[in-house]
Amino acid sequence: MSPKRLEDMYDAVIVGAGAAGLSAALGLLRSPEIMDLKEQGVEPKILVVSKLQPLRSHTGSAEGGIAASLGNIETDDWHWHYYDTIKGGDWLVDQDAAKLLAEYAPETVINLERQGVAFSRTEDGHISQRRFGGHTRDFGGSPVKRAAYAADRIGHQILHTLWQQCVAQGVAFAEEWYVTDLVLDENGNRVAGIVALDTHSGKTQAVHARNVLIATGGAGRLFHTTSNSWDLTGDGMALVLDAGLQLEDIEFVQFHPTGLAHTGILLSEAARAEGGILRNADGEPFMERYAPEHKDLAARDVVSRSIMAEIDAGRGVPDPKDPDGPKDCVWLDMTGIAPERMAEALPQVVETIEQYANLDPVKDWVPIKPTAHYTMGGIPITTDGEVYRWSDGRRALVDGLFAAGECSCVSVHGANRLGGNSLLDACLFGTRAGRTLAARIADNPVDSPMADESADESLVNAADQAAARRSDELNDLLNGSAPAAATDTDYGITNPYQLMARLGSVMDRALAVRCSAGTIDAALSTIVEQLEPAAKALHAHDSTAAFNQEITAIWEVRHLIELAKVMLKASEARQESRGSLKRLDFPERDDEHFLAHSMIATDGAVALQPVVITDYPPKKREY
Amino acid sequence: MAEANNTTVTLQVHRFTPRAERAERARGGSPFARKSSPFAGGSDSATRRRPRGKQWVQEYTIPARPEDTVLDCLLAVKRTVDPTLAFRYSCGHGMCGSDAVSINGTPTLLCTATIRDWVKKPIDLPQVDDEGFRHIGSGAEDAINGMGEHEDDGSLQSEQSKPTGENSSLGVIELAALPGFPPQRDLIADIDPMLNQIRKLTPYLEADGVLATTSEGKVDAYEYLQHPEQLAKYETLSNCIACGVCEGACPVFAGGDAFIGPAALIWASRFVNDSRDVKAMERMDAIDTADGVAACQSVRACSRHCPRGIDVGEEMWQIVAKVRER
Repeated sequence: MSPKRLEDMYDAVIVGAGAAGLSAALGLLRSPEIMDLKEQGVEPKILVVSKLQPLRSHTGSAEGGIAASLGNIETDDWHWHYYDTIKGGDWLVDQDAAKLLAEYAPETVINLERQGVAFSRTEDGHISQRRFGGHTRDFGGSPVKRAAYAADRIGHQILHTLWQQCVAQGVAFAEEWYVTDLVLDENGNRVAGIVALDTHSGKTQAVHARNVLIATGGAGRLFHTTSNSWDLTGDGMALVLDAGLQLEDIEFVQFHPTGLAHTGILLSEAARAEGGILRNADGEPFMERYAPEHKDLAARDVVSRSIMAEIDAGRGVPDPKDPDGPKDCVWLDMTGIAPERMAEALPQVVETIEQYANLDPVKDWVPIKPTAHYTMGGIPITTDGEVYRWSDGRRALVDGLFAAGECSCVSVHGANRLGGNSLLDACLFGTRAGRTLAARIADNPVDSPMADESADESLVNAADQAAARRSDELNDLLNGSAPAAATDTDYGITNPYQLMARLGSVMDRALAVRCSAGTIDAALSTIVEQLEPAAKALHAHDSTAAFNQEITAIWEVRHLIELAKVMLKASEARQESRGSLKRLDFPERDDEHFLAHSMIATDGAVALQPVVITDYPPKKREY
Repeated sequence: MAEANNTTVTLQVHRFTPRAERAERARGGSPFARKSSPFAGGSDSATRRRPRGKQWVQEYTIPARPEDTVLDCLLAVKRTVDPTLAFRYSCGHGMCGSDAVSINGTPTLLCTATIRDWVKKPIDLPQVDDEGFRHIGSGAEDAINGMGEHEDDGSLQSEQSKPTGENSSLGVIELAALPGFPPQRDLIADIDPMLNQIRKLTPYLEADGVLATTSEGKVDAYEYLQHPEQLAKYETLSNCIACGVCEGACPVFAGGDAFIGPAALIWASRFVNDSRDVKAMERMDAIDTADGVAACQSVRACSRHCPRGIDVGEEMWQIVAKVRER
């Protein structure tokens, strides 16, 4: 679905159609401000632009649950959820944001249910809940059942329900449009719109907008072993960098402990919540040694590091599909779960294991390996979804620019996200951003007869100029006349798919689960000396523009490379170990120097922004 | 994909490149021609939307293991042989529903289809030559590695790499765009007709519509109660990922507006059977039409490859019965 014709000016363009983008669209359209406008006959002009058809968004792959202290199974309190989120994030969490997350979580989950999500139920008809790593009672006590779930398909249920509600609201979509530019005005302080490639026609277009919200998801494709779909190429983060803005805490990448061996496909944390146990080559349930209290359900970074420690100590096993390969996996033993319970609570996990490993989890141990899963950092936003610059020790808002979901960093996840908090973040802060947008739109709607259009002309010019530049580049790429085309075989890389694979291996070696100045420097020089020139030299091998996937892939891999450099530089600058970032050369947390958010732009210079600490001062983090 | 294995597979891909849209360029000259006629037929009509262009069959022979998926192989083709080959893919493990195509003539997902399950062993008989003779004594492999017509782009020559002596061919897999939908490029088909049919049937929960708000840490509304047995009535239906496999398999849906299709009916049934929804009667009225439940001929081809394990044919039967009984 694409608009027959673009509006001359939009009130808001939402980039991305996963949980965050769709929640923002709904939050916007259901706000009192917009309902008032509609009653006055003024239609808000909103467009959701997405690289994929919305139902294909990666939200749909989330399996385990969405956290909220509903207390449907056992007593729970949102303050405990608040505390767990801060502790899970190794105190790099902005506590004002985490407080909102925990306090408004029950409302968010109940409203998902009231919109249609087919949650699993308790016998008395309430939303069912299960344990998830790091969620506890009494501020770090015993585990609590806090993750509301729908078998192991919660993401699918949420994505489809939100899309259905958008259909009910008549939201306009531009599907399979790839956004190439985020355009700001000449001072870089105000949004002017976007430039996008309509992949169906193969043409680039300027989309003029007074407000833009970026909700493009994560960047798992920076790594070779990742649970993320092929489309998670960090586009929104790269767009923001290209526009001269910063990213926050981008060095924190969560490696989910249980990727299915070398495929990287996720086996939900629910597998361990239901009783699955990790074992090393000797069959030892090793998590008892690393996290005596919470064992296999300690926070994800703790479990991933424990697995890597076992592998490094020679107690790993090879992927049975590649028996002579490296011993870089451990076992997930689910044989203790009753077969009926496994079929009822973990159908997707079982199917994935059967389909992609040819094993039967009822009787076979399953090889697993940590897999790149979630970027805690991203585009810096306020708790109302507004994007800001950190300069001269204060937050300077970029007028009309918003972000939500995994590509953003409101800093509820800090240095490590708890399971069940990502869908919550996307839905809750997506909705909040939508409401903030609504208030801005109501001040001066495009469709109003009294609209003040005085500022529009300069915005339109800025976007049109960016679109013209992008169109020229597109023609060069299609016609093979990229300036360095003749040298494109210098490193044996002739197409963006090869380059993406090379980059993934480089990043796996440099940053997966652990890193040091040595691994970071090696990766940076490979990228700067080899991959970046190769990316510049790429051109398409076919000149038909319509559905030319190679064009999109070229821009994606350039985005990834830009992001990889910034991630490596931010990792280098943080000379401590905290949450998901394990520096082998700086193994301890250093609150004196690094209890702060890193703010980094393309120039690689890192500024530090203090963490908002209101209720819970930093403590040692143990599970 | 392991590099060290010594088996290969041949993918026989029905390719299509659309011709640049001439009509649009001509239209650009006159502002009066811009608007389409209000009397024109529905924009979803497959014949109207079928683009023109160049069609050909191209073969790729690449290293592969029996347990690899067809998607693994196509991605290897993109990486190592031909980056111009177009096909949709995203999650790679059967959840997003983007990669429905025709494999050996059967609609299914690229990422759940393994080589082992789908490869066709080449027939051992050698091909008949120009003079009507079958030559014996030479391998059948040469025949299956022959190239179809392809673009005269020098960079594509490497695709002719034939298996070396030690390599043994697992066989051939034939790939084409999802049937029943207009092809857009190579294995990409336009599935908007399906999504539009789904949209037409108000595919969203209709209940009291009240949403909860929070005040001082407390919510002012609770979830609708639904017991596990009530959930069981529609849970499987709610797992549909709208991939289009059932539609591509349906002989009634194929190529026209005669049937709104099994996917739209599955979605309608999902809400009819949801105890929270208050519009069951209206929903059943909406599908009690000539192009609705009446068009289903109970062929049940729709059940065979549903990646979510929905017995689509049986569900069709159930909703037809429910509509009749109301």
